[in-house]
Amino acid sequence: MQVRRGPATVTGEQRALTKPLIVRIGKASVAARSQETPRVRATNSDPRSKGLVAARADTAHSVHGPPSPGRVPVPRFRPPPLLLPSLVLALIGAAACRDRRPETPLASAGGRSATSPRRIVSLSPATTEMLFALGVGARVVGRTRWDSYPDAARAVPDLGDGLRPNVEAVLAARPDLVILYETADNRDAEERLHAAGVRTLSLRIDRIEDFARAMRVLGDATGTASRATLVVDSVTATLERVSRATAALPRVRVFWHVWDNPVFTIGGGSYLSQLVDIAGGRNVYGELAASSPQVTLEDVVRRQPDAILAGPVGALSLRNSPAWHAVGAVRWGHILIVDTNLVGRPSVRLGEAAVSLAALLHPPPRRRGVLP
Amino acid sequence: MIRHLFWIGTALALVALVIAAVAFGAVPIPLGSVVDGLAGHGDPAAVAIIRELRLPRVALALLVGAGLGMAGAALQGSLRNPLAEPYLLGVSGGAAVGAVIATTAGLGGAATLPLAAFAGAALATGAALLVARAAGGHADNRVLLMAGVMIGAFANAAIMVALSGAPAESVRGALWWMMGSVADASWPSVAWLGAYTLAAGIALLALAREIDVLALGAEPASGLGLDAARAGRRIFLLSSLLAAATVASAGLVGFVGLVVPHVVRGAGVRRHRPLIAGCALAGATLVVGADLAARVLRPPGELPLGAVTAMIGVPFFLVQLRRLS
Amino acid sequence: MLVVHYRGRPEAALRDVSLQARRGRVTAVAGPNGSGKSTLVRVLVGAQPIASGSIEIDGIDARRLGRLERARKIAVITQREEPVFALPVREYVALGRYPHEGPWRGATAEDESAVGVAIEQAELGALADRSTQQLSGGEWQRVRLARALAQGGDALVLDEPTTFLDIAHEMAMFELFAAIARAGRAVLLVSHQLNLVARFADDLVLLHRGLVVASGTPADVMQAHTLEQVYDWPVVVTRDPAHAGVPSLIPLRRPRSEAAQ
Repeated sequence: MQVRRGPATVTGEQRALTKPLIVRIGKASVAARSQETPRVRATNSDPRSKGLVAARADTAHSVHGPPSPGRVPVPRFRPPPLLLPSLVLALIGAAACRDRRPETPLASAGGRSATSPRRIVSLSPATTEMLFALGVGARVVGRTRWDSYPDAARAVPDLGDGLRPNVEAVLAARPDLVILYETADNRDAEERLHAAGVRTLSLRIDRIEDFARAMRVLGDATGTASRATLVVDSVTATLERVSRATAALPRVRVFWHVWDNPVFTIGGGSYLSQLVDIAGGRNVYGELAASSPQVTLEDVVRRQPDAILAGPVGALSLRNSPAWHAVGAVRWGHILIVDTNLVGRPSVRLGEAAVSLAALLHPPPRRRGVLP
Repeated sequence: MIRHLFWIGTALALVALVIAAVAFGAVPIPLGSVVDGLAGHGDPAAVAIIRELRLPRVALALLVGAGLGMAGAALQGSLRNPLAEPYLLGVSGGAAVGAVIATTAGLGGAATLPLAAFAGAALATGAALLVARAAGGHADNRVLLMAGVMIGAFANAAIMVALSGAPAESVRGALWWMMGSVADASWPSVAWLGAYTLAAGIALLALAREIDVLALGAEPASGLGLDAARAGRRIFLLSSLLAAATVASAGLVGFVGLVVPHVVRGAGVRRHRPLIAGCALAGATLVVGADLAARVLRPPGELPLGAVTAMIGVPFFLVQLRRLS
Repeated sequence: MLVVHYRGRPEAALRDVSLQARRGRVTAVAGPNGSGKSTLVRVLVGAQPIASGSIEIDGIDARRLGRLERARKIAVITQREEPVFALPVREYVALGRYPHEGPWRGATAEDESAVGVAIEQAELGALADRSTQQLSGGEWQRVRLARALAQGGDALVLDEPTTFLDIAHEMAMFELFAAIARAGRAVLLVSHQLNLVARFADDLVLLHRGLVVASGTPADVMQAHTLEQVYDWPVVVTRDPAHAGVPSLIPLRRPRSEAAQ
């Protein structure tokens, strides 16, 4: 089955362009992050991080659509008990498909061929963000319970989990296109949806490059191809600016905490490892090809990371775990708390995520009075 | 003769395994650096790995094995049931439910988790005893075993329900814990489990003669002046608490309590005082060895400890079952 | 005058039962199934509470004795006992010393000698190191008897100790009981084997529906009309051809007409 391309997409795209983009890569979010940094003792708190200030200035200009300086666009994450931050959703399945070769097509489409879809169910937070960024949010009739961005997405009916989704609930939303996270766990759901005559699109985003391709696929599928290019270009530009700004800074060697027992981390196969590089850090497990490999605590100690990146829940559990105090960075309190809702989705806010990571790894000098 | 061989052999094996478990791990450390690390000098990463990770881990494995071995011996003897052990009797399952409920309620701290496990184990124990009594008292211990297996199944279901709302990754963490692991060992958890194992172990050794008598059956035990019902309850509770302590610090490590007493009895140790002491020794040896295997068999990751013990225990259980019928 | 009730049953299992077992004598208790024999044993073990009446051991109310103290005075061999975990015979017999031990006390010389004497008395010298799982039925009963002997005390209560034994083993056991009584203990023997009881017992108590129907010497108690009423079956009591003055019981077949009904 082919994702449809054609003239119809042009009109759709033009219509969509009249609305403002919802990609927020704003000053406000960086400010919000950097105000929080005093709470976190980072490894590298020397004033050499001027580059970040530059990055902030750059990104402030790269905002498409009206910036919203008065408010923090990042939804506050309130961790439910025992729930791992939804960051992991993006990582799950990676383990199941570790042997995936790079030439595997990023997206696979199946089901009945159709005209531009009117009712879309998006079963991963990242693709939901993308659809809203493409201006077709109004066509989204179902999402997972983890989708929280943009705010408008919350108004879309919640259909449960994105892994092994509830096919009945999805069909009840009468979709003409279902976007699935591509993993072995979802193959069964995909087949059932095909059997029910619903078109599906399975997307998998491990690396930043995958994001760009996913955007193009979604743009083609929804008739918003040129808008997709625009969004990708803007994200790429932001990432490049952050990368340039941190290029001269000393690399902070970080361990990205996903789960503590068994120990799961981020490997080089994940966009998060790329984000760490862009933000002026170096993932101590960057050389592993898997996106979320299982490692051992002993080996983490051996690699002696300067800092730990963790979600709020993970950070708490690390601080409370005596075993983890064998890791120097934990002992010294070098646990940097990442905004898992922002960073955990390889989507249109990748640039924003890179900025927030850069602010964590290279906090600005604490001269707030001097800064504008 | 075989008895002396057992004591000497097991003690030597334990010492050798402890040394191996400190020397080998996920990160290869040269033997010289291991010794330096023990002494606290040299490469700080090696010191941290040896002193903060491997030593407490080996110590925890040792205590978990000792506790489960003793609990298994005491339960088998007092219930006159060669298939009894904390895991199969649902005691461990009850403890796990208590711990999971505490975790989901946000009470998963080092101080509260063991207490919650105790509560769960006590409830499971009570339920199993009540069911067994209602179904015809102490005459038939198979009823108790069946009640225990059912309560264990219920506990599994309860844990699944508690976890159903959690994201897959945290379910993986919980399943890992349910499969048993001493990877999270630390000196405080070792000290805590050590205190508990010591106290309950000494109590069980003091009651070992009662277990000898209980193993004859309720009526002969009464004839020898033992309040069989009361003694049985006391030993059941002590064993349950011992099991709950191990569950709180290492999750569900099954079948150690089943395998170890049979091996020690097979070596000719029959009375319960030496049997319980021997099971502490042999259980420690088994779990230290199983944890070493879990760490080195599939690098760079680890196997769950409970999976290794189950691999050993389940065939053993089936052989025992065949012998019984 | 012993009265014992089981919970949930209106009728008393034992009503106004009085009996005595004296040192140096074999006292037998007989009666049909459900007559209260096993209840009597349970009461003596302390497993069944007494509604009224008392058990006295050398003039002391048994209820005023602790469980262990009672066990030091009366040893009981219950009807059934199946070993689950094997023990060497000597260690099994040594379990009889449990009421004399404390939680941490090891075996004393007194314990050792009591065990040795018991093994000797039960004629188990050759079996002392064998496992309890490698014994024949007769050997197992003798090992149990040795454990009860090692327990010490002056009273030995035996509940159907020869149920599954063949003639030779059964006779050997009865000879042992008699020898134990001659050595100075009071032996209380619950048995169905009226003809053997008649030969070996000094006193016989006949129970029926929780009541003592008759007691005295076997010759006094074993009257045909009494036994016919108690067992509800036609019997003839004759003389034991081998032992002068000992009665012998022969149950009869029902008359043909009655059997046809």
